[in-house]
Amino acid sequence: MPDSIDFPRKPVLVLGASGFIGARVVEALSAGTSYQPIAASRRPKPGGIVLDATNPAAMREALRGAARVVNCVAGSNEAMVRSTQALCDAARGQPPGRIVHLSSMAVYGSASGSVREDHPAVQPVSGYGQAKIACEQIIGKYVRDGGDAVMLRPTCVFGPGSTQWTTRLARLLEARRIGDLGSAGDGCCNLAFIDDTVAAIVNALDAANVAGRTFNVSSSAELTWNEFLVRFARSLGATPVKRIVPRMLKLETKLLAPARKIAGKVLRGPATEAITPSLAALWAQDIRIDSAAAVDALRMPQTTPDAMIAAAVQWLHGVSPATRPEFAR
Amino acid sequence: MIDSADDIVQDATLRANICIVGGGPAGITLAMELARLGKSILLLESGDLAPADDVQTLNEGEVADEALHSPPDKYRPRVLGGGTSIWGGRCVPFDPIDFEARPWMDHSGWPIGFKEIEQYYPAANTLCEAGDYEYDARLAVAGGMRPVLRGFAPLHFDVNRIERFSCPTHFGARYRDRLRADGNIRVLIKATVTRLRTSPDGARIDGLDAQNHNGIGFSVSADQFVLAMGGMEIPRLLLTSNDVHSQGIGNANDLVGRFYMSHIAGTVGSLQVNGPRDAVWHGYDVAADGTYCRRRIALRPEVQARLGLGNAVFRLHHPRITDPRHRTGPLSAIYLGQYFISYEYAKRLVSDSPPTLATWLRHGVNAATDPFSTMRFLAHWVRARTLAERKFPSIIIRPRTNLFSLDFHAEQVPNPDSRITLGQKTDRFGNRQVRVDWRYTALDIETVARSFELLRADLAERQTASLTLAANEPDIETVVRRDGAYGGHHIGTARMGASPATGVVDSNGKLFGVNNLYIAGSAVFPTSSQANPTLTIVATALRLADHLGTIARQVPRLSTVGQLVPAG
Repeated sequence: MPDSIDFPRKPVLVLGASGFIGARVVEALSAGTSYQPIAASRRPKPGGIVLDATNPAAMREALRGAARVVNCVAGSNEAMVRSTQALCDAARGQPPGRIVHLSSMAVYGSASGSVREDHPAVQPVSGYGQAKIACEQIIGKYVRDGGDAVMLRPTCVFGPGSTQWTTRLARLLEARRIGDLGSAGDGCCNLAFIDDTVAAIVNALDAANVAGRTFNVSSSAELTWNEFLVRFARSLGATPVKRIVPRMLKLETKLLAPARKIAGKVLRGPATEAITPSLAALWAQDIRIDSAAAVDALRMPQTTPDAMIAAAVQWLHGVSPATRPEFAR
Repeated sequence: MIDSADDIVQDATLRANICIVGGGPAGITLAMELARLGKSILLLESGDLAPADDVQTLNEGEVADEALHSPPDKYRPRVLGGGTSIWGGRCVPFDPIDFEARPWMDHSGWPIGFKEIEQYYPAANTLCEAGDYEYDARLAVAGGMRPVLRGFAPLHFDVNRIERFSCPTHFGARYRDRLRADGNIRVLIKATVTRLRTSPDGARIDGLDAQNHNGIGFSVSADQFVLAMGGMEIPRLLLTSNDVHSQGIGNANDLVGRFYMSHIAGTVGSLQVNGPRDAVWHGYDVAADGTYCRRRIALRPEVQARLGLGNAVFRLHHPRITDPRHRTGPLSAIYLGQYFISYEYAKRLVSDSPPTLATWLRHGVNAATDPFSTMRFLAHWVRARTLAERKFPSIIIRPRTNLFSLDFHAEQVPNPDSRITLGQKTDRFGNRQVRVDWRYTALDIETVARSFELLRADLAERQTASLTLAANEPDIETVVRRDGAYGGHHIGTARMGASPATGVVDSNGKLFGVNNLYIAGSAVFPTSSQANPTLTIVATALRLADHLGTIARQVPRLSTVGQLVPAG
């Protein structure tokens, strides 16, 4: 279906619309005047449509009428790959104007130093990273076959609503299970503020000269995880910030993390929040994600770390426990 | 990367843009900063990653008066991390007055002002892991820190200056991963520099000679050399390298090794506080960033100027451990456990009088009759110090009565007769050992004695407390001699000056008359301040890195050496 010039607002199918980023994209699109979001997910919010994105037939049906697609599908690694495949297969029959696909910095694996979009993956790459690479390959093939897609690789998406990088870290800081990590926290902290990320996604829908391209999405502020964690803890009031003993961190990742994960299957709460080996590895990874291309081509805003933290803390303190998002697994 | 010189073949030549000698706090700071410029950095460290006796013997030497100064192989660990491997972690910036030429103090005055250094203190604080650069008791902790003595507002002292504590951060352990991961840095451990080689006209360092632990010799060439081996080894190497400059490099005016300063420091007096026990707080407060902070009682600069004194601070301290009359269990427990404490710490705590059987017994009685405080102290020590990563900085024990002593830490004024020279004995590489002739002056004693009197008067004015010398302290000089030169502070032996007549190095740390040789660390400090040196060593190293960075950017094509090549 060609771009509709009859409608003042282009219909945008948002896949994974109930998730953290998807919901914010829907919100942003609704607030603007250019797009009409179609919020699709397995368990939609009011006004959304039910969609099992891994189901090719359902995907074809959902795509009908969409002028753009934003793919924010999360879930299991397998579900991400299958839904991306279903999306590209459906789009071949009825191409939407453009697919904006959300990938992740996890595709770079253990890379270090300054990383631009053409940086190869460095082993070891996590299972999640491998799934994201597989999704990118599917999108890449779609582009080579003549489709229009833009891939975004956000870093750790931080800010109001983020369970993974905001609620979880806040809880761990409050429990003094993390803090100043010493040399275990010297890695470069690459955060993508949620508002900046959503702006990059929305701008990618119609930006010129970006078809087929891939963009890192991150704040360009240079700070270490230690610096970030200490600032975040102080803003939260989780003070005095604790200096974490290296053997405690080892105990967390090696011994407690599996136990906490198993316990998390039954009940959720701060005590079942695991510090996984991959999370600990990220804190020590000296990887600086270069997002200059997105700032340039997608006009991505760059919120400062202090402003990000202030917004996150305001949200955390303002959200009552009942409505506070559940812990990320 | 971190390599061992043991893997080097005889007569290899290593090349780098910048060669740093000495892997202590100054050397490690410089390496990490300079690596950002994209220059190849070679950091030579004589020691290993862990201390070892065989390399430590290279620091042996003579001391003119062994009662006043510790042996030269103490407080100077040859290991990656240097002095920070045994550091107590006390961070204090210098004061503006320390940089001024003070008419009442000969040889005082830096060629740079406080502001020049102050701009590097925040980053130095970060590297030392001492939290924010905030040294005002009213601001360092939310709501302000607790007063030392409630209602005490002395005329001659500022009670709002504080010290902050590093973890303490062992630079070799803390930054090892960064040094290892940085592609521009090559750390070579077990590499002992034996000689600097000067160009025939004496204006340049062409290279240096070094040996590994097996006696295999190799050399290094570089565009710039930085010496960062501490205030004793730097004059030793400069004086030893005398093939072109017959008096030693940079020593045409006989300044190298002179003006050797430490601090005049120790524990003095008997301070009886009037009023309730909770009117006194001599312990730590914790800042939001987690650092331990403690107030100091600092002699005001205008008082120093008016009375012609050096800089000085006091802290409230528990009664002297050795004297069993304190009747305080935990203190006696420390006395009884002194053989488990390292030399460097035991010297200060318990070394003033030889233990007798009677003293042992009396301490045993103290510990036995005060078992709960002893156990509480030990439990806190294990939890907050032994097992903690950010360690509780020192022994803080509430005496049973409101009886305290005073810690003092005072500036030692520059004195050309206090010096490091070469001794007669040689080390295993054939280089002469150091000879330490540490001397104090009348003004050094005067600074402590007058400050003590001023504090006594300030405390007496509103009957806050009564301060006297203790029974075994006939006068301040006896006390100063009892504690001797403060261990580990080696200052002034390659001092910074406005001209070669007054300094070994210029205001940037470059040796006068030698184009590519710089000195980092407390050796360049022309005066010693009241402050412990480590924070300022790191700050001045950051400043030197900035300067070398500027040079590197100005003359990007003047490099005389190629890329760093692997050894062997």
